[in-house]
Amino acid sequence: MVCLDMLLANDEEEVVVNVIKLKNIKIKMGCLFMKSDSEIILKISALTKSVQLEDKTLELLQPIDLTVNSGETLAIVGSSGSGKTTLLSILAGLDLPTSGEVYLKNHPLHQFNEEQRSQVRANHVGFIFQQFLLISSLTALENVMLPAELANLPDAKELGLALLEQVGLAERAEHYPSQLSGGEQQRVAIARAFITKPDVLFADEPTGNLDTKTGIHIADLLFELNEKLDTTLILVTHDPKLAMRCQRQVEMDSGVLQEKYTQTKSTNEFIADMKVG
Amino acid sequence: MSELTVKSSPAWFKQSLRLLHHEFRRGELTIIFLAIVLAVGTVFSLTGFTEQIKQAIMSNSANTIAADRVFGANRKIPVEFLEKSEDLSLKLASKILIDSMVFAGDNMLLSELDAVSDSYPLRGKFMGKTSLSQTPVSIETIKRGTAWVEESVLARLDVKIGGTVEVGVLPLTIAGVITEIPDRSYRMFVAGPAIFLNIEDIADTDLIQPGSRVYYQYLFAGEQDNVETFEKWLKPQLNDTQNWYDAKSAQSRLSNVLDRSEKFLSLASMLGIVLAAVAVAVASRRYGQRHQPMVAVFKALGASKSHVQKLYMLHWGLLSLISICVGLVVGYLLMLVGVSAIENYLSLDESQLSFNPFFTAIITGVLCAVAFAIHPITELISTKPLDVIRGFSQNVLPKFGWHQLIPLLALFALLMLFSRDLMMSLSLLLGGILVSVILLFLGRLIMGAGRTAGSKAGKSWHLALANLKRRANENSVQLVSFTIAIQLLLLITVMKSSIIEEWQSQFPENTPNHYLLNITADEVQPLKAFAEELNIDNQGFYSIFLGRLSAINNEKTISIEDDSANNERDTADKDENKEEKPKGRKGAGRELSLTWQSQLPIENEIVEGKWWQEHDDTPQVSMESGMAERLEVKLGDKLTFTIGSDEFTVPVTSIRDVNWKSRQLNFIMIFNQTAIKNIESTSISAWMVPDEKKKQVYRFLSDYPTISIMDFGSIMKQLMNMIDQVSIAIELILVLVILAGSLVLVAQVQASMEERERELAILRTLGAKGSLLRNSVLFEFIALGGVAGLMASIAMEIAVYFLQTQVFEMTASFHFSYWLVGIGAGAAFVGIMGMLSCWRLLNLSSVTLIRRTM
Repeated sequence: MVCLDMLLANDEEEVVVNVIKLKNIKIKMGCLFMKSDSEIILKISALTKSVQLEDKTLELLQPIDLTVNSGETLAIVGSSGSGKTTLLSILAGLDLPTSGEVYLKNHPLHQFNEEQRSQVRANHVGFIFQQFLLISSLTALENVMLPAELANLPDAKELGLALLEQVGLAERAEHYPSQLSGGEQQRVAIARAFITKPDVLFADEPTGNLDTKTGIHIADLLFELNEKLDTTLILVTHDPKLAMRCQRQVEMDSGVLQEKYTQTKSTNEFIADMKVG
Repeated sequence: MSELTVKSSPAWFKQSLRLLHHEFRRGELTIIFLAIVLAVGTVFSLTGFTEQIKQAIMSNSANTIAADRVFGANRKIPVEFLEKSEDLSLKLASKILIDSMVFAGDNMLLSELDAVSDSYPLRGKFMGKTSLSQTPVSIETIKRGTAWVEESVLARLDVKIGGTVEVGVLPLTIAGVITEIPDRSYRMFVAGPAIFLNIEDIADTDLIQPGSRVYYQYLFAGEQDNVETFEKWLKPQLNDTQNWYDAKSAQSRLSNVLDRSEKFLSLASMLGIVLAAVAVAVASRRYGQRHQPMVAVFKALGASKSHVQKLYMLHWGLLSLISICVGLVVGYLLMLVGVSAIENYLSLDESQLSFNPFFTAIITGVLCAVAFAIHPITELISTKPLDVIRGFSQNVLPKFGWHQLIPLLALFALLMLFSRDLMMSLSLLLGGILVSVILLFLGRLIMGAGRTAGSKAGKSWHLALANLKRRANENSVQLVSFTIAIQLLLLITVMKSSIIEEWQSQFPENTPNHYLLNITADEVQPLKAFAEELNIDNQGFYSIFLGRLSAINNEKTISIEDDSANNERDTADKDENKEEKPKGRKGAGRELSLTWQSQLPIENEIVEGKWWQEHDDTPQVSMESGMAERLEVKLGDKLTFTIGSDEFTVPVTSIRDVNWKSRQLNFIMIFNQTAIKNIESTSISAWMVPDEKKKQVYRFLSDYPTISIMDFGSIMKQLMNMIDQVSIAIELILVLVILAGSLVLVAQVQASMEERERELAILRTLGAKGSLLRNSVLFEFIALGGVAGLMASIAMEIAVYFLQTQVFEMTASFHFSYWLVGIGAGAAFVGIMGMLSCWRLLNLSSVTLIRRTM
């Protein structure tokens, strides 16, 4: 399978080559569509979230239904305060809904306690945060190894080194986060997110803290690894260009979820968007 | 930890060790580490130090009285006592103790003469050496005509072994140097070194005269049953001037004295511990906050609560363990410093360190590490994974709640453990809470006032005072700790100098600085003539004899308090009288120094009745008002005195107030001459000897070797030395208190670092100059230190007032110059400490600052 960003990397090449690439994309998308029919990795239905304020109830999420297939890339977009991060926390099992159901890999997260949800996260979920959230007292390598150790994977160190190699930071393995630039820190965070080969990767504004150029590189890396490891990616962002790189976009608006972008968009538009991104 | 172990260990174990290793290396655990080290070190050094002193005094506990039982009195033992002991086949040794000047050529030295019988000691080792290089051997007997001396005698009299010392009128050859005295502990607080001679020689010294200050000891040893039988038989027959004690009762008296001074010391050091505990509390709160994002990430990545729990238990446990171990080492070193400071005064060679300091210090460390950290760590462990999304709340102020009970209980337990005194611990805790609340309130007020004042001051001050006010909660804790530390420092300084000043003021030019004791009737005339010839001011000569107040209005007096084994010997000096205030209806509890006078002495004032006429031949006595009050004696009461075998009764015809503070010769009982004619006595006189005439006087007095001279000037010097020594000990503790206080400050600054970082970033973005920021931070700390100094000065003044009026019976005085010292020192110290802690932050470039926080 040809990677999406390999296409992007070669965007200076001749039209003929592009045609071949387009064919490849078609092939890939075909695979995805087939896969989506076969496996639902995340399913929520009638999900709501409200918080009780002093004298009134604030509805953060209106009843939401959403299904995400395995291998799919989904962007949740929306303005600040629209509820997208709240939705992400519930999807990832960090928070519980007020009502409704959340199934992640068929695990009913809405019925699970904190410990059970931790277990699900350890086994199936990866995270990338806007603030990187690396552990400052641990080296880059140790940060990457962390989820592998939590999931009791053997050879966490070897896996970690391999991933650091892939994100181009093998040389910096023994450096502390404070010795790394923002982009490097996020690359470490990406390596950390992929080390357990999670079924679902949640990314909360992964480029939000980076300058445009670095942001593009980080996004490239994220999509590349996602592709390579066949992970389902759920991305929260308010950056439309980043969102466009996902196969599917949903938009949150005052707690209401709407399907925004689907594969019905023409392939040409899709590629054009990607090039801009 | 070997790679193999780590590899096969669970993830939490590996991660915990990894975190600890990195955090230690990166200095992230320094404050908390130092706080625990300080708490443990303080407790260890002080517990160990006092224990060493105690042990040095009580070493060879069974031998501290050189016998099984000791009879002691100012007079010889009744013959029937000795007969009874013989019947019970008890072994006997006798000892006569006299304080006396000894001479060697032109040199003289006040020493304690121990005249012992051949059988001394009955228990324990009496060791000495006949040349300085020899190993000590047991001294079997002291040959007549010889003396064994403590080593310091040689240097102070500039003599060698084999040389001669004159004891009274008797020259003695120095046979050797004493290295170990079995009943040494009783000699702890005497002024001069010991000189041992044979008891048979004592008569030839002519030192024992009527009215001499002599103490007789009779040492008994034997089969336990016999000793007990003897004791049972003898005890009911003892009067209040006769002492009877065994090693245990002697020890308990000693340890009482020690306990008192130990409590005083521990009070100051407890403050150090409290501060160290506060530092642990602050640092652990910071630790909790700093680790929050870590825990949230761990949990978000799927770590279970138990994983995090185990990880932090191990992390904190190891951190505490390391800190406690280092604390023990530091404490041990501090103890050595303390011990080396007093080595000259005590022989500490044989003292073995017990388990107690280790135990107390370890418990302290564990209590600090557990009780003060339990809340922050439980909060840390329950950090929600959702916080990775929501963000972290730094610097949430501690809320009051049940969880504060645990640290308070722990603090109480610590105080109890250290002082073993419920009342003291409780009052310190409650008093501490009260004082802290008052200080917090005052501090807030002052900081609030400062804010208003600051708005009129320059930009930096404005910003500094605004910051101070905004961080009032955190600052209050620092304020309390610094106030207490500064206050203690000021208190010690002020008290030290005011005591010395007070003493010096008691020695105006013409007050006596020498007491002459033991003057026989024949010697009075030549002395008078000599004093006149040299124009030496003196207060005349007082006859002095020892006697007992045996009945008041024919009602026998009883001894309420057995002050016996203190080796108290009678004196007209007030300080000693003060020590033995009996309780309830009672007698004087000891022999009194009695005298007769025809004129009312100076510094005495009749408050009731009137002084007798010079030729009034009715026997009368005038009594000191304090004693009259204690014994509930009124004008006209009839007092019966026993002097040797004589007994006589006289009415009280006047009651006098006596100015005890003057170094005049003062007496509780003064008779008219009629009352005590025909009673043998020696005389006492008080002379004012100017420095330039000292040598002449001493040379003259060396012709009268039985006269004892007490040089008050040099005694005062010794007292000042002692005060200096005590001050050093207290200052040592204060250093610990200040260290703990500084640690609290640094811990607090560290805790506010993120917030400060954000503020600085904002101010930088808004275009504030580096100098403005630096100055505002500096001024904030200077203001904090200044406020602490001001409050400390006020607190010091109050404390000094109470100490002066209640404890030391001095006139209260105010010390405004020390206020400046307090405020200045507080501002400077806190300013420097604060700047040092913020230095790194202040030197970050604007870009770095903004990038780090935005």
